[in-house]
Parts: sequence; structure tokens; C-alpha cells
Amino acid sequence: MIRRLAPAALLFGLACHTADRIGPPAVGGSVTLAATVPITPNYGVHDTFIRNGIAIVCVWNSGVLIYDVGNGMKGGSPTNPVLVGSVVPSEDSVSAGPEIHNAWWFWNPTNGQTKYLFLGQEGPGKIGSSSSGDIHVIDVSDLTHPTEVGSFHLPGAGTHNFWMDEAHQVLYAAYYNGGAVSIHVSGTLIGDTLADRLISQVVPDTTGTYTWGVQLYNASLYAIDMLTGLWQLSADSAGHLAVVAGGHNVPTRYSSDFSVDTTAGYIYSGTWDHLQRTGLSGSVVYVWQLNGSGAPSKVDSILAPAVGAVSDVKVSPDGKLLMFSTETGTGSGFYFYSLANPASPTFLEYYQTGKEGIHTCKWATINGRLYAFGAKNPSNPELMILDVTALDH
Amino acid sequence: MQLGAQAIPVATESNAVPRGRSYGEARLVQPMVMVRAATGGERLVLQATGDFEGLTIKNGELTPGAWGEGFADRRHPHTYLHEFMLLAPDLLRDLPAPAHLSLGVGKGFVPFGTDDPMSRPTERFPVNHHLSQILERAMAMAGVTVGPARLEGALFNGDEPQHPDQWPNLSRFGDSWSLRLTVEPVTGLEWEGSRALVRSPETRDAGGLDATKWSTALRWDRPLLGRPVYALLEWARTREGGALTLATVLFETQVTAGRHHPYFRFERTDRPEDERTLDPYRDVRPIIENSVLGVTRWTIGTLGYAVDAGRTWRVSWKPFVEGSLIGIQSVGSGLFNPAVFYGTDRHWSVTTGIRLSWGMEDHRMGRYGRSEMTMPMDHQ
Repeated sequence: MIRRLAPAALLFGLACHTADRIGPPAVGGSVTLAATVPITPNYGVHDTFIRNGIAIVCVWNSGVLIYDVGNGMKGGSPTNPVLVGSVVPSEDSVSAGPEIHNAWWFWNPTNGQTKYLFLGQEGPGKIGSSSSGDIHVIDVSDLTHPTEVGSFHLPGAGTHNFWMDEAHQVLYAAYYNGGAVSIHVSGTLIGDTLADRLISQVVPDTTGTYTWGVQLYNASLYAIDMLTGLWQLSADSAGHLAVVAGGHNVPTRYSSDFSVDTTAGYIYSGTWDHLQRTGLSGSVVYVWQLNGSGAPSKVDSILAPAVGAVSDVKVSPDGKLLMFSTETGTGSGFYFYSLANPASPTFLEYYQTGKEGIHTCKWATINGRLYAFGAKNPSNPELMILDVTALDH
Repeated sequence: MQLGAQAIPVATESNAVPRGRSYGEARLVQPMVMVRAATGGERLVLQATGDFEGLTIKNGELTPGAWGEGFADRRHPHTYLHEFMLLAPDLLRDLPAPAHLSLGVGKGFVPFGTDDPMSRPTERFPVNHHLSQILERAMAMAGVTVGPARLEGALFNGDEPQHPDQWPNLSRFGDSWSLRLTVEPVTGLEWEGSRALVRSPETRDAGGLDATKWSTALRWDRPLLGRPVYALLEWARTREGGALTLATVLFETQVTAGRHHPYFRFERTDRPEDERTLDPYRDVRPIIENSVLGVTRWTIGTLGYAVDAGRTWRVSWKPFVEGSLIGIQSVGSGLFNPAVFYGTDRHWSVTTGIRLSWGMEDHRMGRYGRSEMTMPMDHQ
């Protein structure tokens, strides 16, 4: 009997085999919910930037909400966020409203200024080919009364995620079909003078580019492109960009966000599978090792089943943890992995949030504890704050 | 008071479904009960329609090219309270005025575009349903008829329903408007031109793209060479937020020869491709951004035949069969590739069923004019 069943079992095993390790949908107990902040469904919350106990929450057509989550200026904490200020930026001739997706609060080390907040407007487009939306500049000298002071428009493309070389006052922005862009942001930013501040624009592949995000590491700007995968660009201190390596390395899926483990030299990138590129189900986190020159090579992958996308990927500030968020499916929520072996992350915990899922996630260390902030999709959009300190220990 | 009811058991097989295969199913579609009540002299009329598709096709009806309200490649079920309009069909009836004024308030069909597909010959809905009609909205409307011309206007809520049991978002009442001018120079020959601005139809709490809509159509409904002939030629266009333009052209006709009703429909319609859920027939709702995956153009020719098979206990039986040849093309750029998604570039669909109806001689669905209130639904 066993001999008869053995071939069938072998065939079944082969049929179930996948090159991707499957992330176990188990739920642990080390993650606790610190707070949720309901967001007016207009139509929700897209991203968060946390610095010095201040959470800047990007709430689409409601603009930006600034919360004290541990700074102390309004007595807020991660368990009791207190609203400090808000602003609704201009539409800037982009249809459907301000559509604020992301933010970067610029702390200028050369003069100590913390005056400017950059906001990304995610306007309408055709995914994979066209986009719209500007970078808005907000004066947050007074966090209780933020004021729009300028904007940056790139013809023919719309902005997405940012990274900054603050020491050299260079803002890097992914610009979807416009590739990756660097902008000099020193001095006073008023009006639309940012249009004169463009340093460099690189379209990694002129036959098709849709760049999702960028991150600077070791004089390279890494760029993740939905169509063509992970790229290494050179980036000097003046912000000049050029293609160095990578590209065309994720052919079976569309890529999403990524994050660099700056302590170990690894990159983790997600995939966007709301439209399956080759019929593969679920979504994946790929693990990339950087060689001596910084070129990436894929060394592992983790499958997140029953989701439409790995919507965000982030390595913790100390490099010990990997967090990624997923959306649109029964496997949606936060996933946490240990990076004790950065080449092969090990599963720690899954925090389920409902099938709508989490659009973006961010780490924040506040008063000695580690938190995960998540932007929960509608319906019932909200900012979720998880205390994950226990995982970090 | 008049009562009516309808239901259509259908079986459909098509290969215009995701993942390149043929798929068939049998469903009970368009189960409806209609009530029309009027005061003496018809000074006030209540027009109500209950639609039970939320029970019989909770997951939609297999319909190549269908889209809207979170469904794709399946037609969505309509809301249980499909229509509930309180109407004053002719407020000037006692005055020697050369004009007629009608007012209406409730939930129903916005004066825009052409008649609802439920009251037209082909059973399968056209792809252009969401370009050519606006329905199930809370609205206040007015219409003025002078001679052969009729001008209608309405204020309504922009949000479309997301579930069969969902009510219009009343906090958004009045954020959208429509105008329709109809000219009927001779009985049975009609031209309409419509314009509408629909705020954020796909995002219930607003914040989504607005739709600017145009429609124009010629409608023939009178004998030709001694036989009753119906024909409709329509064009419509919707521009979403200045970012996306969707257009449609549709022609359909039906000839009645005794008990026999051969009919034909041709349409070429653009469809937006939204992000889908793990269910390939459902789009992500609520939407999480304003981008689309692309636009596809659906070219469909449908040939059908229906026959009056008689009545049993006042229920009329009308068996029918209709078949379609379907072409799907990408329009412009974007990720969506129909050849990959549907697995082939030659598509077809066949539907057969029986229209069962009882006392359904009510208004043309989609119009609340003085004359249409008593016009039979005679094209099924």
C-alpha cells in the first residue's frame, strides 16, 4: 500500500513545490496594538513619516495630519497620539485633489533647520506607463500651522517615494515613468523655484520604466522599478545619477517597494500582483545580496500567499528585523521576520488586519521602544501603531 | 395600482473570461417586481421597482466586458430597491399653458443617456452600461415639455452603490447633476443629447475621480414596411478626472414579425481596467488610488432571436437565444494585456433563456416623462 501511495505522494509534493519559501500565516503574541487613529475616508491614509516623536500622516485629499506620538510638544505618545497641526496642499492642476501619498521631513544638518516637509502627490495615471503628481513643499517651522510654500513639477510624470541625502541637501524621488530624479534643496524654497533645482533624471530602461522607490546606500542610489526590477545607480555627493548595474531581474512579477539593510548590505524587495504578470499567485519578498561593487544578486525569496501585493518593505533601524505589509486578500497585514541571518530571514510574527490590508508601514523608535506604523486601507481607514519592542529583543 | 413582475432564467457559456478557458453557468437574472400607483387623475404617481438580483446573482452574471461597482467580466447585481420615485407628471395640466412641467423625487434613473438595458431586446447588458446610463441615485428632477422637445434636469448623489443593500450616500445629494434634451418630431422617432457631471462615482465618501459625461442617441420605434421596428444608435463619452477618456458607439435593432423577434446589436466600447482582488471577477473596492491598469476596447456583435411562446396564468413566455463574437484590444499603454489575461484573442459568448413576465407594461426604464409613464416596455 505504502509503495503504491509513494509515487502519488511524490507527485503531490512536486506539484506543491515552489521556489519561494512560504511565510507561515501564524499569529504570535509579541506584537501588541498601541493605538489606532481613525482617518476620515477621503479616501484614506497612504503613508507615514515619523521623526523625533512626530508622525506625519499622509491622508490623501485631506492632506497631511501631524501627530505628537512621543515628542512631548502636545503630550502625545504612541498609545495616545495627539493632533498637532494639519494642512491641505493645493491640487496644483492635478485632477482629483491633493492626493498626498508620502512625506519626508528634511532636517538640514548644515544649518540645523527643520523647516521643510516634502510631500508626494500621487495623481491619476496608467500603471506601468503614465503618472501625474507634484512634489509639494510645506514650511513646518511651526508644526501647528504648516504652510505650503512651493512645489516641483516634472513634465510627463508623477512622483512617488522619496529618499534624502540630507548632508548634501539632495532629495531623491522615484517618478514612475519618469524614472529616478535628484533635486537640490538647499537654501530657501519658495514658489515653484524647485523647477530650477533638478540635478539629474535617470530612466533606467527607456523601453519601459515605472520606478516605485529609491534609497541611497554607499554612494549608490538603489531604485526599484515595477517593470524591470532592482537597479543600482551611481550617486555622487552632488546628486548626479547614472545606471551602474541591475535591472531585468524580476521577470515573473511586478516589483513594489524595497528596503536596504545598511548594517549587512542586503536588500529586500516586494512584488505587486494586483495584476498577475505571469499567472503566479500571492506576492513575494526577494532577498538580494550586494557584492563588493554594490551590484545586487537574488539569494532567497519569501512567498506571502493570498494577497494582492507586498505593499511596503522596511528594515528596522538596528538591522535586526524585516517588516513588510500586504494588502487585498485574506493574508493581508504586517509580517515580521528576523534578520539574524540576513540572507535567509526567519519568520517571527504575522499581525492580521483584515483583507483590505496595510498600504505602507514604517518603523519608529520612540522613548526606547520600537513601533510599527501602518496605513490601513479603506473601508474604515486608520493609522495603526503596533508595539513590536518584544520582537527586537 | 398596477403590478408587474419579471424573471429570466438564463444559461451562458463564454470564453471571454479570465485565464483563457471556457466557462458556463445558469442563473436567474433580472428578477423584479414593479409597482405603479397613482392618485385620481394621475396628479401624483409612485413608481417603484424591487430587484432581487442580490439574492439570485450575488456574485454577478457572466457577461463579457461587463464592469462597474466592483465587478469585472460579470455584471453586478442591482440594489434591492432599484427605483422608488414619487412623480408629478404634469403640474401645468390645469393651466392653458403650451408647456408641461413634471417633477420627481426619490431613487431612480437619472435623466442621462439612453434607456436601461433591462428594457431593451438583448438580454446581456452592453459593455457601455456605465457610460450610457446613471441609475440608482437619490435625486430630485424636473422636466419641461414644449411641443416635441423635452428638457430634463436632475441633482443627485455621485456615488454608485457597492452592494445590493446599500443606500445612496445622502450626505452627497446634490453634488452631481445632469441635463437631457429630447426631441421627438414624430411619434416613435427620437433624438436625445445629455450632459452630466458625476462626482467621485467609484469612491463613496468622495475623493475619487469625477466623471464628465456626454451622450447622444437616435431612437426609432415605429413600423417600417408594415412591421414594428425598433432601432437605437448611440454615442457616449466619459472623461474621468481629466486623466482617462472612455467612449462608446452602439447600434441595436429588432424587427417584430408576428411572434418572432430577431434582433442584433453592435457595440464598440472602452473599458477601464482596475486592480482586481484575488477573485479575478472583482475589482478592489474601495479603491486605494486613482490609477488604472489600462483601457481595453470591446467590439461585440450579437445576433439574437426571441419568440412569443404564449401565456400561462397571465405569465408570458419568451424563449430566446443570442450569440456574440467578441474582440478585445488594448487602447494606448498600461500593464493590462488582454491577450495574456484572457489567454486568447478570439472570444465568443452564447446565452439562452426564457423571459418570464407578468403585467410588465410600465414605463420605459430610465425615463419619467409625461408620456413615458404610460409607455409599455415592449422591447423585451
